[in-house]
Amino acid sequence: MKSLKLLGLASALLMSSVSFGAADTITLESGKDINMVLLPKFLGILVFDQANDGAQEAHKELKNPGELLFVGPTPENSVAGQIEIMTTSATQGQGAVMLSNNAGDQIVPSAKAAQAAGTKIVTWDSPIPSGEGEDVFVAQVDFGSIGTVMADMAHSLLDGSGQMAVLSATPDASNQNAWIAAMKEALKGDKYAKIELVDVVYGNDQAEVSYNRALALVDKYPDLGVIMSPTTVGIQAAAKAMQDEGLCDQVKVSGLGLPAEMLSYTLNGCAPEFTLWDFRDLGYLTYYTAYGVASGQLKGEIGETFTAGRMGDYTIEEDPGRPGSKRILMGPFTIYNKDNVEAAAK
Amino acid sequence: MVALLTKINPQLLRILALLLVFLTVLLFFSLVVPNYLNGRLFNRISSSVAIMALIATGQTLVIITRNIDLSIGSIVGFVAFATGSIVTNNPDLGPVALVTYAMLLGAGFGAINGVIVAYLKVPSIIVTLATMALFRSVLVEYSNAKSITTSNLPDWLISFPNTVLWHFGNMQFRAAFVVAIVIVIVVHICLSRLRVARKLYVVGSNPEAAEMVGINSKLVVFVAFILAGSLAGLAGFLFLARFGTITVVAGLGLELKSVAASVVGGVNIFGGSGTVIGALIGAMLVDLIDMSLVRWQFVSEFWREAVLGILILLSVTADAVLMRKLTAIRQKRKGVSE
Repeated sequence: MKSLKLLGLASALLMSSVSFGAADTITLESGKDINMVLLPKFLGILVFDQANDGAQEAHKELKNPGELLFVGPTPENSVAGQIEIMTTSATQGQGAVMLSNNAGDQIVPSAKAAQAAGTKIVTWDSPIPSGEGEDVFVAQVDFGSIGTVMADMAHSLLDGSGQMAVLSATPDASNQNAWIAAMKEALKGDKYAKIELVDVVYGNDQAEVSYNRALALVDKYPDLGVIMSPTTVGIQAAAKAMQDEGLCDQVKVSGLGLPAEMLSYTLNGCAPEFTLWDFRDLGYLTYYTAYGVASGQLKGEIGETFTAGRMGDYTIEEDPGRPGSKRILMGPFTIYNKDNVEAAAK
Repeated sequence: MVALLTKINPQLLRILALLLVFLTVLLFFSLVVPNYLNGRLFNRISSSVAIMALIATGQTLVIITRNIDLSIGSIVGFVAFATGSIVTNNPDLGPVALVTYAMLLGAGFGAINGVIVAYLKVPSIIVTLATMALFRSVLVEYSNAKSITTSNLPDWLISFPNTVLWHFGNMQFRAAFVVAIVIVIVVHICLSRLRVARKLYVVGSNPEAAEMVGINSKLVVFVAFILAGSLAGLAGFLFLARFGTITVVAGLGLELKSVAASVVGGVNIFGGSGTVIGALIGAMLVDLIDMSLVRWQFVSEFWREAVLGILILLSVTADAVLMRKLTAIRQKRKGVSE
């Protein structure tokens, strides 16, 4: 009798949880009037423009009569400019700001002020490190798994043993730092015991600085085998530097790159392998998330599942890299090499 | 020794002092960085300084007239992008057409600065601070978030800067470096030998006196900005050829680096004196310090900028103190001989 009761209870629980899950997949109602701002790190970089394309696509699909603005600071003014645009958006009463954060935690006061004014803050690409002032983060990939992927690419390029160095963007880009930290963590595994990470340098996402830093790395570490650059500007500059100085046999370049920009270096062996995700999709998913949160259809709570148009269902979960913060994980990413880079470059 | 020092002209003395500082820095780093002194180092510095040499030369021309051009980095970036975009769309354009385009475009930007500074009498630091942001924003608009990529550029353009013209052992003299050096020397000869070019110094050391002796100082300042713009344009062309990838951040920060190179090179920030050869050595010194610091284990990433700043300050101070001492000695000896 007792066991039967338990069984009944269990099955009731099971059933309720199943029906609970099904009822909770929210389909966003289109046509809500919400003004939104897409705020990239700075203007003029191809990947951010692609994200905007994706957001505009979602904007049309959801028939939002409001405005979708694509505004960002100029490159030399990125941190201050982001804070300023955030502040302005709050006073304008924008429904949501979609932010690729380049200002570290410096953005927090203005983001909190915007939230207090009723603006929802959805981050994408690069989150607010402390998670304060942020409703939810749309992560392109799992930050931990990108570390493993980079470690694996280094492993295959080095044939299992050798020296590698990282060429990053700026020292305060939170996504870069999280990926590098994840890679360091991955490198602790037994598989990578013979791989030594010798240095991390910063090229500020400027081609000329990255180019010189890459050469300096080669000069500083004569046995260097791989330069890992988790930024589309850095990877390209490093590959060109190795090509110009005839060092491609000795040092391979890898990291995150755009197929169109990396094509020649992949085919000539300077950068045989690299990875990336689709920024258009990232913009699209971010828009759906922000639209849902700003229209009140999503509460922005852990466990909520919703349908993001053509991309399917996504669930809000706790961000494992930033306890207490929430994220939506997009994934996956593609590894490019000489077999698939040409098709992707078109 | 002292007698010799008093006979050499002060500009030459300054260059010699700079070379001494350069050698000291070289010696210092060769002691703390393994595998330092070799042909490779020469190749690194010479390839990287080619672009800065042209920018610093332009900056020096402006500084000599008591002005400053903070927009020069934005001009380099814009020209690099625009030249890249025109050659991407018209791959048949030859070197002459492209270089002309780059220099004219740069001169156009220089003319905007020049008109406002010379004829509307707005201080150059304010004008060029504004145009620095303005030109950069125009680039952001113009670029439409695209970037120039190496794969769309003709082969001759990409291979040009690294073409080895001749070499001694591992030291390679590459085309971009040789072009830059030739231009610096030509400008130097003009500045020291041509009557017209000397007007830059006259206007810089005393604008009122310049007007009184019938020099059109407005025109001189205007021309200085145009020349700086066209040199920045040429630098933009080399920038495109060297890096291949041009985004809207191209050339960011070059304005301050060029001012640093000029000042380290002994160009008086208050106008009236200085040489472009000095600026060239200044540019090489800044580059040498910057590159060597990256290789020096002792200095971490976050301290490098600070250490670079300190070294620049030290070399400028050492130069100033040394020059004052020498001038004092010269005066003294003049007094004795009279």
